[in-house]
Amino acid sequence: MSRPAGREAYLALSAYLIKDVDRQELLEIDFDGVKVLTPSWADEVITKLAQEFPNIKLLNTQNSTVQATLKTLRKYSDLKI
Amino acid sequence: MVNANLKNLALEWCVSENPKIAPGDYYCASRDFFIAQADNLSADLKIGGKINDSDAYMILAMIGEIGNNSFDHNIGNWPDAPGVFFGWSIDNSGAQIILADRGQGVMATLKKIKPEISNHQEALKVAFFERISGRAPESRGNGLKFVREGAKATKIHLTFISGDAQAELNQDFQIGAADRNIRGCLAIIEIKKR
Repeated sequence: MSRPAGREAYLALSAYLIKDVDRQELLEIDFDGVKVLTPSWADEVITKLAQEFPNIKLLNTQNSTVQATLKTLRKYSDLKI
Repeated sequence: MVNANLKNLALEWCVSENPKIAPGDYYCASRDFFIAQADNLSADLKIGGKINDSDAYMILAMIGEIGNNSFDHNIGNWPDAPGVFFGWSIDNSGAQIILADRGQGVMATLKKIKPEISNHQEALKVAFFERISGRAPESRGNGLKFVREGAKATKIHLTFISGDAQAELNQDFQIGAADRNIRGCLAIIEIKKR
């Protein structure tokens, strides 16, 4: 929900999940099960992933907070997904 | 639905000359405490189906942005009492949620990167509409825009006060003068059961 939590999440996935992944690979971000997403958290994770990986596919974005957050990031944080 | 006691308690804390008189049940001194309380609010909003899940999650996201702003923009710089007042009241007609802080307020925060802001009403308009971050050079500043859109989507009513300015958000957005001058921020969310 917060920026510090998002920053921590990004550091963790940088160390363990995406460290050795080819930046040209297709990256799928699955929001299945997400109940509450905020622009603060997502700006530290989704926006940064999008800056590193040009090929990103967003899955299961039906949740209202996911949709609203992505809309906000596209408008105010230059998210290009 | 409006719980006058809760609102008065928050207001008293906001303007008190002695901030140590904090209402313990509603006081979140740290961000961790605030996040934990937000989880409790999540459960309370859904009990009995008073608010549908989709709106409840959206309202929680908005609460998250407003409350985290208090910590993000005042960390290490609280004028006196750190933390936020975070309380809610839920009954059969709906819910009222109140967040408040004794921080620097919107104008003082935004003036650091936009010195030409000359009054609190202008500051609120910038905060809710312009792409600007009070923590430049960090790229931030989308939280209150998200809150504005969220208020429209969930059909809630949000009163947001900082300094002597008061914004009213629902399907519209209006800014005017506040009855009381609040140095930090006070947000009152009113949700009618639908």
